[in-house]
Amino acid sequence: MSRGPVRVLRLGLRPYAEALRVQERCLRAARAARTGPGVPGVAGVPGPGPGESVVLSEPAEPVYVWGLRGAPEAEVAARLRARGAGLAAARRGGRITFHGPGQLLAFPVLDLRRRRLPLRGYVAALEALVLRLCRRLGLAAARALPPPFTGVWMGDSKLCAIGVHCGNHITSHGLALNCCTDLTWFDHIVPCGLEGKGVTSLSRELGRHVTVDHVLQPFLDSFQEVFDCTLVFSEDPGD
Amino acid sequence: MAWRALWRVGPVLVPRCPRLSPPALRVPAARRLATSSLVLSARKFTDKHEWISVENGIGTVGISNFAQEALGDVVYCSLPEIGTKLSKHEEFGALESVKAASELYSPLSGEVTEINAALADNPGLVNKSCYQDGWLIKMTVENPAELDELMNEDAYEKYIKSIED
Repeated sequence: MSRGPVRVLRLGLRPYAEALRVQERCLRAARAARTGPGVPGVAGVPGPGPGESVVLSEPAEPVYVWGLRGAPEAEVAARLRARGAGLAAARRGGRITFHGPGQLLAFPVLDLRRRRLPLRGYVAALEALVLRLCRRLGLAAARALPPPFTGVWMGDSKLCAIGVHCGNHITSHGLALNCCTDLTWFDHIVPCGLEGKGVTSLSRELGRHVTVDHVLQPFLDSFQEVFDCTLVFSEDPGD
Repeated sequence: MAWRALWRVGPVLVPRCPRLSPPALRVPAARRLATSSLVLSARKFTDKHEWISVENGIGTVGISNFAQEALGDVVYCSLPEIGTKLSKHEEFGALESVKAASELYSPLSGEVTEINAALADNPGLVNKSCYQDGWLIKMTVENPAELDELMNEDAYEKYIKSIED
């Protein structure tokens, strides 16, 4: 069944809340693509345009975000705010983590029903995608660990956090890959609620300054391979 | 096609085969309609893989075996408060597994009368016993006609096969 390309929205440096707003529009487009009229002249592609997207951004400001679980207690929240970070809850899996400059935030909005992909297969695919990216960059030792350690690790330190949401088989939220993130922000929380584990970044592991822009192309190449799709670049979520 | 894509990729956690195994307990198909309440109905399914079984006007809701396999190990259940009024198709909570939050949708309209307290300490019951001990909520059945819109077990098994191919 023809599926159509995945729309890529490269937001660049943007506040986390803005990336969420763009994601919301992509979700509307994905839902509409299931029920809307077909694309004229293109057989087998329902909806007005690509129903699937991936929103890429670099959080402009520091923010701590938690999922269904892991909301910080009032005292902890106050201390985090005092350090100049924002706080937000997101309807996704995974506990508390940090998002900020130097981090690639990727929100794939994919239709798992069309892809015949179960949810845990999707999470495994996200891990596979990041592992491919790491190999492309020269980090062959990166590995994914089974739950509750979902994510991509270098030894005992997490390189990439994963936390997704699935409603009506459409995904949102996704992954946060530390490229040149200031890792000291993670000192003030127990990242993902996993005691005794550390965090790391591509820059730290490779011993050179790796920015979000450096990894965008290899990320998209890996994305196309793992999700077996073509990509189309767009400014418009299509909703 | 997505399965083949996963097999090509290197060290991936390979999901178990998604074949639906039949539930251990088969509920008898007999159903009697009283004037304003259902005495006992067979399990019915939604296309979002929830099931509901109604006894004396109260429906018990859970997720199907197909759904629990697709999710992976459930680590947290976010369920509504008793007294919450739900409409059919309305989102009533979420299950978390493998760092993924997955929505739950109400099969019918009604009011939540009970939630499964055992899931707080033992969310894995949803995987181990999705049709028995892993039930999620109980609710009143405001409109018994809505039950007719759901799939019976045979129809649901056909539905699963159709989406797997």
